[in-house]
Amino acid sequence: MAYRTYLMVCAGTGCVANQSIKIKDTLIKELEKKGLQDEVAVVTTGCNGFCGVGPIMVVQPDGIFYQLLKSSDIPYLVEEHLIKGRPVKKFMYIPSEKEPPIPKMSDIDFFKKQVLIALRNRGLIDPEKIEEYIARGGYSGLAKALTEMTPDQVINEVKKSGLRGRGGGGFPTGIKWETMKKVPGDVRFVICNADEGDPGAFMDRSIIESDPHAVIEGMLIGAYGMGSTQGYVYIRNEYPIALERLLKAIAQAKEYGLLGENIFGTDFKFDIRIIRGAGAFVCGESTALMASIQGMPGEPRAKYVHTVEKGLFDFPTCLNNVETWANVPQIIQKGAEWFTQIGTGDVTNDPWGGSKGTKVFSLTGKVVNTGLVEVPMGITLREIIYDIGGGIKDGKKIKAVQTGGPSGGFIPESMLDLPVDFDELTKVGSMMGSGGMIIADEDNCIVDMAKYFLNFTQEESCGKCIPCREGTKRMYDILENISVGKGTEEDLELLEDLSYMVVESSLCALGGSAPNPVLTSLKYFKDEYLTHVREKKCPAKACRQLNVYTIDEEICATVGHGCDLCKKSCPDFAIFGETKKAHHIDQMKCHKCGACYDACNFKAIKVE
Amino acid sequence: MERSIRMVTVNIDGKKIEVAEDTTILKAAEAAGIWIPSMCYSDLLEPYGVCRLCSVEVIRGKRSRIVTACNYPVREGLTVNTNSDKVKWIRKILMELMYSRWPNVPVVKEMAERLEVTKPRFVSLERDESENACILCGNCVNICRDVVKASVLSFEGIGIERKVVLPFNEQSETCISCGACAYVCPTGHIKIKSLETERGALQDFYLGPKSAINIPTLQAVPRVPVIDKNSCIKMQTGGCGICSEFCEPGAINYEMKDEEVDIEVGQILVTTGFNLFDPQQIPQYGYGRLDNVYNSLDFEFMLNSTGPTGGTIQCKDGSEPRAVGIIHCVGSRDENYKKYCSRVCCMYALKFAHLVKDRTKAEVYQFYIDMRAFGKGYEEFYKRLLDEGVNMIRGKVAEITEESYNGNKPHLLVKCEDTLIGKFREIPVDMVILCPAIEPAQDAAKIKKILSISQSPDKFFLERHPKLDPISTMTDGIFIAGCAQGPKDIPDSVAQASAAAARILSLISLGEVSVDPIKANVIEEFCSGCRICNNLCPYTAISFLEDKKISDINEMLCKGCGTCVAACPASAITGKGFTDEQILAELEGLLTV
Repeated sequence: MAYRTYLMVCAGTGCVANQSIKIKDTLIKELEKKGLQDEVAVVTTGCNGFCGVGPIMVVQPDGIFYQLLKSSDIPYLVEEHLIKGRPVKKFMYIPSEKEPPIPKMSDIDFFKKQVLIALRNRGLIDPEKIEEYIARGGYSGLAKALTEMTPDQVINEVKKSGLRGRGGGGFPTGIKWETMKKVPGDVRFVICNADEGDPGAFMDRSIIESDPHAVIEGMLIGAYGMGSTQGYVYIRNEYPIALERLLKAIAQAKEYGLLGENIFGTDFKFDIRIIRGAGAFVCGESTALMASIQGMPGEPRAKYVHTVEKGLFDFPTCLNNVETWANVPQIIQKGAEWFTQIGTGDVTNDPWGGSKGTKVFSLTGKVVNTGLVEVPMGITLREIIYDIGGGIKDGKKIKAVQTGGPSGGFIPESMLDLPVDFDELTKVGSMMGSGGMIIADEDNCIVDMAKYFLNFTQEESCGKCIPCREGTKRMYDILENISVGKGTEEDLELLEDLSYMVVESSLCALGGSAPNPVLTSLKYFKDEYLTHVREKKCPAKACRQLNVYTIDEEICATVGHGCDLCKKSCPDFAIFGETKKAHHIDQMKCHKCGACYDACNFKAIKVE
Repeated sequence: MERSIRMVTVNIDGKKIEVAEDTTILKAAEAAGIWIPSMCYSDLLEPYGVCRLCSVEVIRGKRSRIVTACNYPVREGLTVNTNSDKVKWIRKILMELMYSRWPNVPVVKEMAERLEVTKPRFVSLERDESENACILCGNCVNICRDVVKASVLSFEGIGIERKVVLPFNEQSETCISCGACAYVCPTGHIKIKSLETERGALQDFYLGPKSAINIPTLQAVPRVPVIDKNSCIKMQTGGCGICSEFCEPGAINYEMKDEEVDIEVGQILVTTGFNLFDPQQIPQYGYGRLDNVYNSLDFEFMLNSTGPTGGTIQCKDGSEPRAVGIIHCVGSRDENYKKYCSRVCCMYALKFAHLVKDRTKAEVYQFYIDMRAFGKGYEEFYKRLLDEGVNMIRGKVAEITEESYNGNKPHLLVKCEDTLIGKFREIPVDMVILCPAIEPAQDAAKIKKILSISQSPDKFFLERHPKLDPISTMTDGIFIAGCAQGPKDIPDSVAQASAAAARILSLISLGEVSVDPIKANVIEEFCSGCRICNNLCPYTAISFLEDKKISDINEMLCKGCGTCVAACPASAITGKGFTDEQILAELEGLLTV
C-alpha cells in the first residue's frame, strides 16, 4: 500500500537512548487518533549519523528534517505538518543564532558534503526488513557476481577498485583476497570484524544498525570470490541493537535463500555464524579475534605467517572490517571504475597507490555538529571540521585533531588542509584507524589527552609481550608524573626513546600504535610539554595538580556576597570565610580538585 | 601431500648459512654459532615471542624490519642483522623494563649483565623483589595447554595486571601433577609441593625419578620399554603423545589393553613367589621418610651395573658412604609382624657387606639377632667376612634417626642394644640397608580361592605333607614350589621346582590318571535344586545345571569325602557304592551269618 508521507524515525543507539522508540509509539497513536494511519507510515531507520541532535525524524518524500524531538511535541507536530501542511520551524535545524532554520535535510551542511556508499541506506530503509533493502537494489551485487562473474573476476574487480581495509591498517582488500584464493585447501573462512573498540567510535555499529544486509551481502560476495563456505561475524555484546538486527537479517536472508545451500540456484553455499565478543579492545586485532573465536584467551600472535594462509583453526582466513564488507556490494554492482572516481591517488597498477572510495568518521569532541559522517577520501580535515562539523564550539580556537582513536595521533591546526587518506595520515604520524576523529580546542591539554589515550591502551593491552605491557605502563607513569608537576626534561627524552622502542618491538599493532598519541604530541606540541616540566604549569589549565586556585575576594564579597557554595563543595575543608564576606583558600590544605571552581556561580575562583 | 625439505641460504651477520626452509632465525643462528638473547624461549614449546629480546633486524632490499628471531621463518636470500645498533637499543630498553620490575630474579640479572644494563632508567610501580618472581614468560601456561593438554594454568587479567593463576586460585582437579610447568619455569616460581609424599606411587624404587616410559630393568624379558599408566600424560589427559611422534617404526600403542587368555591344562604348578615386607610399617626405621634408608631390593638395584647409579654405591647426594649399617630381621622373627624366619636375609646381608667392602672404603655394621649360615659353604663365607673386618653387632635395632652435628652434613644414627657386651649403642652411619621379611605374594588369598588350595597360618601355600610330600597340594594336579610354599633361597627353590616338574612330567607320560572310585552321585529325581551342597564342596566339584535346575557333581574333582551326602536335605546325594541301601545290605549280610 502506498502512503502519501513516510515518517522516518531514527532508531540508532543514540536516538533510542533519547527515547525515539517512545516518539514512534506516540506518533502511531497520534496518527490513529487523527485517522491518518492509512496515509502516513512510521518507519524506524538506522542511524542518520547526526547523533548530536537526536532524536531525529525525517519526513519523506519532502526530506524535512526534525531534531531534538520530545514525545510531548508530537501532537503539535502531527497537527501542524501532517494535517495543516505547515512544517514546524521550531523543530528544524538552526545552524547559528543569526541564521534561519533549514527545513531540508539535504540542505544542511552536515549532510551536504557527505558521499554515502557504506551508509547509503541510512535513514532510508527499515533495517529490519530485507524487502526494503532489496527494493534499494540490495543483493543485486551478489546476483551479478554469482550469475555473471567468475570468482576470479570478483576478486579482480575488488582489486581494481583500490578498496583498502577500513579497519585501520589500510591493506588492499583485493590483494588479501587474491592471496587467500591462492592458498590450497578446501576449508577456508571469512570473518567480519565488528569488534569496534575505539572510545568514541561507532561507525561499525551504525552500519550494522542501519544496513545489516549490506554487510551480509559483502561477505557473500567475498566468500564466493575466495571459495569459502563459512563466515563469522565477531561482534561486541555491548551492541545489543546491532546484534539483534544482524540476527534478524541473517534469519531473513536464510528465509529468502540468500544464505544456505544453492544460493541463486548455483552450487554456491554459505552460512554465517555470530560470535559475541566480551569487549576486550585487543580482540579487534585479527589474530586475537580468531583466538577468541576458537575459545582461547584473546591474545594476538606473530603474523609472520599471514592469517590468509593460516588463520582461524589454522585454516586460511580472510578477515575484513564491517565497513570494508559494506563497500563490496556497491563495487560489484557499479563496477570498480565508478569506485575509483572517488578518492585520491592512482590505483590502476599499484593498489597501494592511493585511497579510493569513502570513509566513515565519527566526529566528536569540541565541534558543533557531532556525529557520523561518510566523506570521500581526499577531503581535507578543515572541510570536515568547519563545513560538516560546523566549526568549534563556543567560537574557541582549535588546537588539534586526533584521528584513529587511541592508536592514532594528534594533527596540529597548521596541518588542517591535509587531505584525509591512508597514506597522508600515516605520513604525519597519525593513522586512519577505524575512523575516530576527536577535535580538541584550546581548553584541552595535550599532555592530559595523550595520557588519556595511553591510559586506555595500557589498560586494554592483553599483557602478552613486554614492550606493550611494561612499556606502555611506564610511559603512562611518566606522563602522570609530568601532569602532576614531577616531570623533568630527561623524562621527555626517556618517554620518546621508550615510545619508539614500543613501536618497533611490540608483538601486535595495539602496542605498535599505542605510542602514536605521545609521539605526535611530542612532535607537534613540544612547547606544551616543556611548559609542564619547566614551569610546572598547564597552559590549558586541564592538569589540575599544576593549577593554583585563588578566590578574587572582591568579586566574592561584592557579587557573590560570600555565598558559601565553594566552602561547602571543598572536600579538603580548605576554604575559609564567613558568610556574606570574602572567602579565601588555604593553599596548604588545597588538593586542587577544582570542585570550588565548578561550584562558584560568580567566576570568583581564579586559576593560575 | 609430501613436502620435501628445501634448503635455503640466509645471510646472518654477514655469514652465509644453509638451513632448511621455515627454520626460525634463532635456530639458524644457533647452528652458525651466533648468540641471540632470549628469555621466554623453550625448545619444548612453540615459540611464544613475548620477551622480544630475540628481536633482530631483517633486511629486504632497502627496507629493514624488526622481527623476533624465535618465530620468524627463514626464506631464501634473507638478510638478518642480529646485532645492529637498533637491535641493541631495543634489547637495552627491554632489559631495563624487565630489570626495573624483577631486580632479583637470577635469569633477569644474568641477562641484564650480559646486555650491559646496570641501572634501569625506569621506576616500576610493580617492582617485585623476590628472587623467584614470575616473569610472565608463559612457558607454564603453554606447556600445560599444548603439550600436557590439561589447560590447568592460565593467564588472568590484562595489561600490567596479568598473572598466571590456577582457576579460581584453587588446586585444580584436572591437574595431574605432572610437574611440566615447574620444569619449564625459568625462575623457580612454580614449585610442586607434594611430590615427596607421592614418590612411592610414582616410582618403583626410591633411587631416582623415573619417566613415564622406561625399561623396568635391563634384564627384563622381553626387553622393551613400557608406559607407566599412572604417570603417562597421554593416558591421563589425552595430551602429550610426544613419544609416538618420535618413534619412527610407530611402535607406540596407547590403545593396548591387558587381555585374558583361556588355556586348558591338566596340571598346575603354583610358583607365585613372595612379596617383600614393607618396612614403612616399622616407622622407627624411617624407610620412605629418611634419605639413604633403603630396603634390600633397592640396594640390589643400586648394585646392578645397569641400575641408576651404574653399580656404584652412593648416598642420595652422590657421595660415597663412610659407614653402612645392614639391619637383619626387619619384620621377620618379630612378634609384632612375622613370626617366622625369612631364611635368606642373613646370607644376602653378608653378600651386601662383602660388596660394600669391595667397592667402597666404608665401615660395615651388621645388626643381627642370630646368624643363620646353614647351607653349604655358608659358614665359611661368614668366617671370611669376619676376617674382612665387618662389624657384627648382635641385637635388634630400636630406632634410626637423622642427626647433624655442628652444622655438618646430616647422617643416620642407628640405636640398638649390643647383647654380647650388654650395652646400649648408637652407631653413626651414612646409609642403612634394611633386610625385610619375605611374605606371601599379596594375592595369595585370591589364588587360594581360585585353585582351592590351602594356606598355612603364615599365609604361604600349604603342602600336602611337610616331610613326605612338600610339593603337592591337597588338590590333585596342583603343585607348589619356591617361596610360594615358604621362604627359601635359590638352591632350595630350584630343587623344589625340579621335583614338582618331575612329578608333573611323570603324570603326563602316563597319559591317564587313575582316580579313586569313591564318588558322590546326585539322584536327579530327588534333587530339589536348593543349592545347599554347591558351596559346601571343598573341591568345588558341584555345579548347578541351570537348564535342569539341579546340582551336578564333576566326578573327576570329587574326592568322595561325603560332605554333600550328609548335607543334602532331600537325601538326593549318595556315595557311589556306598548308598544307605548297600551299607544296610552289607550289615544285614554280616549279621545273618
